[in-house]
Amino acid sequence: MTPLIYSTLIISLGIGTTLTFASTHWYLAWMGIEINTLAIIPLMTQSHSPRATEATTKYFFAQATASATLLFAATSNAFFTGSWDILQTNNPLTYTLMTLALAMKIGLAPLHSWMPEVMQGLTLLTGLILSTWQKLAPFCLIYQIQPHSPNLFMALGLLSIVAGGWGGFNQVQLRKILAYSSIAHLGWMVLILSFSPPLTLVAFSTYLMMTFSLFYSFMMTKTTHINSLSTSWAKIPTLTALTPLILLSLGGLPPLTGFLPKWMILQELTKQDLALVAVLAALFSLFSLYFYLRLSYTMTLTMPPNNPAGTLPWRLNPSHNTLPP
Amino acid sequence: MSYLMCVLLLGLVLGLVAVASNPSPYFAAMGLVVVAGVGCGVLVGTGGCFLSLVLFLIYLGGMLVVFAYSAAMAAEPFPEGWGSWPTLRLVGGYLVGVAVARGLLGKNWYEEDWSGFDSILGLTVLRGDVGGVSLMYSSGGWLLMGGGWVLLLTLFVVLELTRGLGRGALRAV
Repeated sequence: MTPLIYSTLIISLGIGTTLTFASTHWYLAWMGIEINTLAIIPLMTQSHSPRATEATTKYFFAQATASATLLFAATSNAFFTGSWDILQTNNPLTYTLMTLALAMKIGLAPLHSWMPEVMQGLTLLTGLILSTWQKLAPFCLIYQIQPHSPNLFMALGLLSIVAGGWGGFNQVQLRKILAYSSIAHLGWMVLILSFSPPLTLVAFSTYLMMTFSLFYSFMMTKTTHINSLSTSWAKIPTLTALTPLILLSLGGLPPLTGFLPKWMILQELTKQDLALVAVLAALFSLFSLYFYLRLSYTMTLTMPPNNPAGTLPWRLNPSHNTLPP
Repeated sequence: MSYLMCVLLLGLVLGLVAVASNPSPYFAAMGLVVVAGVGCGVLVGTGGCFLSLVLFLIYLGGMLVVFAYSAAMAAEPFPEGWGSWPTLRLVGGYLVGVAVARGLLGKNWYEEDWSGFDSILGLTVLRGDVGGVSLMYSSGGWLLMGGGWVLLLTLFVVLELTRGLGRGALRAV
């Protein structure tokens, strides 16, 4: 891709999210989301393979449907309440429709089916942008919707934790695992949204940092499959030692940072007298922990059989720096 | 006049059924043309004459014409109209869906009043949608530029997607 087009698309990605963040009018927020969707489409087809094109098409369909539903909900809100203000969503039909549209945008269960297939067709860098940056703008709008009852958010959250954990159970492709991990973490964020929005932000920011690190470590060792992950221990030994910490942090084990949002969310849920929901969320996160542990096991805790030439690199100087270039 | 509006709205719903029942692009484009034309009639009926004119010119006369030409490029030897069985099944299904929706949601549709474009601004020279257009150029200047940026971005996106002939993302073109 020519540098001019590439920079135009990246700048448009920035403009879209900034526009949604800065807006109080539903049109402008929707426009920012559309700019984001449009700008990432060519970035997704960059590898020019049929797989990438198919992933892009699926992404576009899912996002276009969700955007159209969002626009319809915003217009119905203007019809019922007379206001285009984002904070003035009082009508139950309207905020339910908006929540569902935004849930499809970020990939919450039961509207999550597009996520794993789309992530599988992308390069790791584009998958990273999709998992982190593209979630910011819809999340900003979800944060601002004020529903009267927490039921829908809790249902979406719990279903996403279940779907994200159970779905990633049998995956060997790392991008699909990362997609399911994204679904599960977004489920945790949305679960607590009606009770304590700051906790949602804590969960979101920790998730951003953790998933960015994991994507980047996979990018540096250029692994997309558990097979290649298992033989990548010799490439960058420091990374081999540190990646289990990232993975266990994603799984939510103390004393790592990933435990903090889960702990506080469980505490808030029990304070709201929702102990069963808390227990279910914690138990279904064990599924996610299982596949994070499997990844740590294959990468660090074992040294799978390798040809003699492959075992040599750890003695020599590594070809990659572990700091981002 | 309200009878005309009812006929136009019926045309909208039937056009939706015609497009959604998945015929060949030839016929689907015709369905889109009918829907757009009828929608322009609805706009005129509620007072937005200028908006209707712009919709006709730009959407019908610009975008749909281009779409019809590109649908002609995807010509097939046995196009499926609305008489072929798969399409007819879908037409029947959607008509049933429309009837169900009318039964569930459409109780008072003829009793609500039509809020037109003119009720807000009062008695001025620039009324309704024309006043809106002038506002778009004056107070809404930044939003207009944002809209223009989005259109330019879409152009770049489409050009980038279709670049490369046999080596690009869309290998058929």
